[in-house]
Amino acid sequence: MSGTRPPRGRNGPLAVCMLLLACAVLAAGGCSGGRDKVTLRVLAGPELADVRPLLKDLAHDTGVTLDIDYTATPDLTDRASYDLAWPASDRSFLLALQAARQGGARPESTTIMRSPVVVGLDADAAGRLRARAAGGRPTWADLADAAADGALRFGMPDPRRSDTGRAALVGVATAAAGTGDALRVQDVSCDRLRGFKSGQVLTGPTTADLIDAYVRRPDRADALIAHENELLALNAGGRLAHPLTIVRPEDGTVLSDFPLLLLDPDRHDAYRKVVDWLLGADAQQRLMRITWRRPAGQDLPRVRELRAPIGNALSYPDRRSVVDRLLADYGDPARGATSDHVVFLLDFSTSMRGTRIAALRSAFAGLSGADRTATGKFARFYRGERITVVRFGGEVLDERTVTVRGQRDLDALNSLVARGDFANATAVWSALDHGRAVAARSLAEDPGRPVAIVLMTDGANNAGISYAEFTARAAGQPRTPTYPVPIGEADTAALRRAARDTGGRTVAAAPSSSLSDAFKEIRGCL
Amino acid sequence: MADHDTAPPTTVTEPRLATRARGGRRRHPWHVLVAAPLAVAGLVALTVTGNALRPFDRIDVIDAKMASKSDYFKDPEVQRLLLKHGIRVDIHRLGSRGIAEQSFEGMDVVFPSGQPAAKLVMAREQRSVRSARPFVTPLVLGTFRDYAQTLVRAGVATPQKAPGGGPTLYYDLRMDAFLERIEARRTWNDIGYDQVARGRSNSGRVLVRTSSVCESNAAGTYLSLVAFVRNGNQAPGTQPRTRPEAAGDPVLAVADDIKPLINLQGMAADEQADSYFSDEGENIAPVSVIYEHQYLAHQVAHQRRHHEQDTSRVLLYPTPQALTEPELIAIDDRGNELTDLMESDPELRRRAIELGFRVRFSGEDGTSAQLNDYLRSRGIQVPTPNPDRTKVDAPDLDSLERIINRVGNCPLVQKETQE
Repeated sequence: MSGTRPPRGRNGPLAVCMLLLACAVLAAGGCSGGRDKVTLRVLAGPELADVRPLLKDLAHDTGVTLDIDYTATPDLTDRASYDLAWPASDRSFLLALQAARQGGARPESTTIMRSPVVVGLDADAAGRLRARAAGGRPTWADLADAAADGALRFGMPDPRRSDTGRAALVGVATAAAGTGDALRVQDVSCDRLRGFKSGQVLTGPTTADLIDAYVRRPDRADALIAHENELLALNAGGRLAHPLTIVRPEDGTVLSDFPLLLLDPDRHDAYRKVVDWLLGADAQQRLMRITWRRPAGQDLPRVRELRAPIGNALSYPDRRSVVDRLLADYGDPARGATSDHVVFLLDFSTSMRGTRIAALRSAFAGLSGADRTATGKFARFYRGERITVVRFGGEVLDERTVTVRGQRDLDALNSLVARGDFANATAVWSALDHGRAVAARSLAEDPGRPVAIVLMTDGANNAGISYAEFTARAAGQPRTPTYPVPIGEADTAALRRAARDTGGRTVAAAPSSSLSDAFKEIRGCL
Repeated sequence: MADHDTAPPTTVTEPRLATRARGGRRRHPWHVLVAAPLAVAGLVALTVTGNALRPFDRIDVIDAKMASKSDYFKDPEVQRLLLKHGIRVDIHRLGSRGIAEQSFEGMDVVFPSGQPAAKLVMAREQRSVRSARPFVTPLVLGTFRDYAQTLVRAGVATPQKAPGGGPTLYYDLRMDAFLERIEARRTWNDIGYDQVARGRSNSGRVLVRTSSVCESNAAGTYLSLVAFVRNGNQAPGTQPRTRPEAAGDPVLAVADDIKPLINLQGMAADEQADSYFSDEGENIAPVSVIYEHQYLAHQVAHQRRHHEQDTSRVLLYPTPQALTEPELIAIDDRGNELTDLMESDPELRRRAIELGFRVRFSGEDGTSAQLNDYLRSRGIQVPTPNPDRTKVDAPDLDSLERIINRVGNCPLVQKETQE
């Protein structure tokens, strides 16, 4: 080797040989000889911009320079010209691959660090949330509950564009479904996050954008939903007058594992070097201190902030259609919640007296915030929602419409339901016809606002117009999705037909579930 | 230990000759003085670690696709032993079934973690290939003490006795009863977790996390196990068809039966064992499908670092039991070199025991004695064989493939389509 080059000095060959030998000996440790210098093109998630301080040392120690674009979308759509990808999570990417049914195994992938998607709250909001949570340990359901009644305003990155936002959305939706396992198609057939969304006041295409917006005006929101590490970094960065309190919701969090993916198998050698370096104890320590993520391996001493257990990791759905449905229902987070208008048509015939009316009142109170189960907290009436209550017997007894702004509005509705006068007849189709008129007026007022009708009745029609007349009047009118909840002696077959004609469906109350459960089941489907 | 039969590295003599040629000049410039001690120190280090093998000799880099058995080839001692033979293994990590399905281009060997994937590889290779099956290891479920105790309380697991009456590392698990709990869609709190683990709760469903069903041998083997149990302790596809025209496809019927038990977990993790052994393991998954060797290697390492067993991580040995047999398969001549070595080198096999594998030695029927001796010498509880020795009778390859594809909804394989 040394013979091929003319010696520059008398001791040149000796020096070169000694250095070469030293390099060979220390090959594992360093001596990044010029020969092996490689540059890899990396498509990284914007979340990963905080690894920049390590890249120089990585290049020095391994000879591999990472040329990173921090522009990855959750699906890694623009990956064609890159050697590696480094997203917050490869789940969306893998679901997209699966949906495209592309053969072959997934690309080689290595977990580099971990961080759960959690909530950072200002001290007051954290205190309020803990006060309303069982055992002082808040859940996503408590968060949704507080958002629905206006006690909590939060920021969250756009789930359509950000891995962080998407993980947050899946986490909240999984908690809302309350099944304890991964979301299935049937769990997302109804949008149970409208109450939750009504509390969203801030968003951004990335967490960094969200945080910038929050730092400019911290008074606009009480809480931020983002990766634990992003919130810890914000706290440590000195940009806030008061650090946020980190809450890891008790009903579980989605954990991101920041995998490094080998997109081009020909770059395997360099990929291995990078992965081995990143997983070394030294790099893991530095990643933890600089980025506040949790080390991938075991036994690395943790900084104080990362000693708290992350809580139970939530399962992630294995169907892209599930996630797509969530994204579509959640829509544009900058637009705020879709304020629905729900028209309740409630049967107040004498047969409702006793346990039936008690069940109805209790169901209504539950939707107004009294139901402290997790599903109840997600299903409750929320701020901005418009609700009409129509009591009927042989004719419409009374009607009241409110836009929910606070407890007073809910009290008004409940006092209507609490009235004790009952009628001797049941005019189901007249009531439904009346409900349709209310819905039509509402649509004329605000064509963008979804309207739905819930009809609760316990008897067959014995007054007012007939079913035939009802359908005749309905012809040519805009259809309002109608959800009959028949109990007792109601004419289930006719109601089912009426529901089907509008794109709604009947929901069974007794005997399989209570009236309250039936109401909760259709919330978000409306 | 040092290599006696290694000739002095030629590169060391070269500079000496050069110095001599200069006829006695003693003055070296600074860069030689800097480099010289480095080189000497390095040489000493090499000699001490036994790596004083011809540093400038040709080292054969063997490209290998493997899954969990990369644990073996990543071990520094194994690497040192291989280097003595001039071999370095470059690991391309991939699920076993992925290995069997993807191109072997550029590979010298592949090392699927079990026989189903190994058979797929063999079926693809036209020529007769050399291979080695250096060790076996049972499939186990890795969990944590409070979860294991919850399963004991629920009547599906039994602790093995630990010598000295300390906390046990091992539990026997009645798979049929456990699957019933999973099927009933009970949460961990439902079966008493919040009472066993005072102060903590888990409202997640009782379920077992696996790596990807479509890609991992461990997950595929777990499927075989579940299918065997749910099919009345019989491999699917082996029943006599009483009414062939009416019965439909009995294999797919079993697949459809077990599908919900597997798919509860949603998206599968990339490498479940890595999550299990991480510090966040208990939060990520209460129960994970892993291999025994991964757990035992972890305990040995834990004992070395902390001078005690890791008593929070414990194993569930399922009944019936499923043994996996990885197979190192040569794709070309360089691969042959490695498979031959694995067959013949006693040191490589001895090291496998130290890494928790059950190694087959010729002339010995049991594969456990040496492993047990080793564990005892390291102060690690020895797992006792379950009195119920029922073994999973795996479905034939074709049936297993159909079950896997059905349960995992796996993408169609484009075999050998790499342009």
